[in-house]
Amino acid sequence: MSTALNEALATLLTRCEPDAEHVAIGDIVPIPGGFSRETFRFEADLQRGSTTKRSAYILRKDPPYEAAILHTHRSVEHDLIEAVRARTSIPVPRSIGYEMDPTVFGEAAMVLECADGSSTTSNLFFDGPDADQADDVIRHLCEALVELHETPIDSLDPSGNLRDPRGVGIDATNWDRYMATTFEYYIDGYDRINREPGLCILLDAFLTLRRHPPRPLPLSVLHGDFNPANFLYKNGRVTAVIDWENSRIGDPREDLGWMVMMDGLSKTAVMQHPVDEGGFLAYYNRLRGLDITPEELGYFILFGTANIAVPINEAIARRVTGQNREILHLYLVQSSITALPGIGQLLQYPGIPVS
Amino acid sequence: MITSPTIDQILEGVIISLADDIMPSIENPKAAANCLMVQSLLQGVRQLLTVIDDQLVDEHNDMIAVLRRSAEALTDNSAAAQRMRERTESVCDRDPLPAPMDRAAALAAHNELTRAIEESMRDLDEMLTAGDNSAHDALLIIREHLGQRYLRDVTSIQVGEGFIGRS
Repeated sequence: MSTALNEALATLLTRCEPDAEHVAIGDIVPIPGGFSRETFRFEADLQRGSTTKRSAYILRKDPPYEAAILHTHRSVEHDLIEAVRARTSIPVPRSIGYEMDPTVFGEAAMVLECADGSSTTSNLFFDGPDADQADDVIRHLCEALVELHETPIDSLDPSGNLRDPRGVGIDATNWDRYMATTFEYYIDGYDRINREPGLCILLDAFLTLRRHPPRPLPLSVLHGDFNPANFLYKNGRVTAVIDWENSRIGDPREDLGWMVMMDGLSKTAVMQHPVDEGGFLAYYNRLRGLDITPEELGYFILFGTANIAVPINEAIARRVTGQNREILHLYLVQSSITALPGIGQLLQYPGIPVS
Repeated sequence: MITSPTIDQILEGVIISLADDIMPSIENPKAAANCLMVQSLLQGVRQLLTVIDDQLVDEHNDMIAVLRRSAEALTDNSAAAQRMRERTESVCDRDPLPAPMDRAAALAAHNELTRAIEESMRDLDEMLTAGDNSAHDALLIIREHLGQRYLRDVTSIQVGEGFIGRS
């Protein structure tokens, strides 16, 4: 990694850790994980007086605008993470700071503490090496989600940045307006992603969902990408809920629906735990005193899928028209194809077997 | 069938990724050479895909004529000549293959019909919202067709399970 990157990181850490008298950056190693940001792990020695402490950090950097899947703001993500840390007991790694000036890191970037714990969450399921921890870890994960959804919106988002973080015209002043303006975004978005009419199942989904709205629930701060890859665990506890970049105000059933969708695509079994509570949804309902039904989850699987499908397919469309050279965007066509029959199943397409 | 990105765009994307993402990180000279070979092979496949159907048909039909003319050119009745005449008579007893499908034209026609399905969905939504129940049956007919397409797409395109790069 370049000296310039080392210097930029040292400058950011010195600025955000004011009592640090000297900062020395160690090796910077790119790591996989997360489809939307460039992520690196590095260690730094922070000298305070006669004490020097070595800590591990994560650098999350935006890809170039045309290559980015989600156009989100590192400053908003930082503020939310720090609000969650300050006002809830949800385990979230500290966000050290951010740099929005693209001349410093090449694009906007943020630095977080490196969380303790395993990110190989697939080990929790199907006789994996940590299957004995699955119930306890997922119980804790569910409790964290409940706490997020029950924390007052103004407490976590006092500046209102999460009301329409993509700047696409969402009005989150109440549930009805939120749903109506979100459908406008989806249906308008369909025309932008329309490289391929074969994806008209998405249009069918958007229109069908709009015709059959569910009962309202109070809006919440959502994680926004609540899936089996976005938490770490250790000794039967969640040690970190990570990747808050798609967080926003929305219907809490969106987080649940997205987990169901990604649980299936990732071949994990988050929703089956904790077993003694009858699974994730039953435990969530019990903690919140709600009675969200599997049918409602089916609705929000589609609704939540739309939230990700629009920006992903916009990115694929940019790749197809040559606006970037990302292999990931081509791979997403292949890897997400399996979701289409699942969407058809939820829309009750004839001839699609129930899996 | 999902027709965009095209097969050629996918192959080109892999070649670009090898150059942009993989080659700069390769330090082993043999691995670097193998990477160049992979790029070369993929480029060859791109080129082959554009001509293979035409050339197969062209060469197939030309061989029928060549074998016939060649057998007709023989004047003696040796055993070898007789074998050649019999072989020609046997294998050339067939019709020439038809000209291969114009893939670009087929894609355009397929695209036009799928766009019609897409627009029908908007009209059906308007009718359903207005309470026209016959639109429900019409929508089911379209959904049944699309469902079978998506099931076939998964069989044709999916490789492995889950998302690479995610835990």
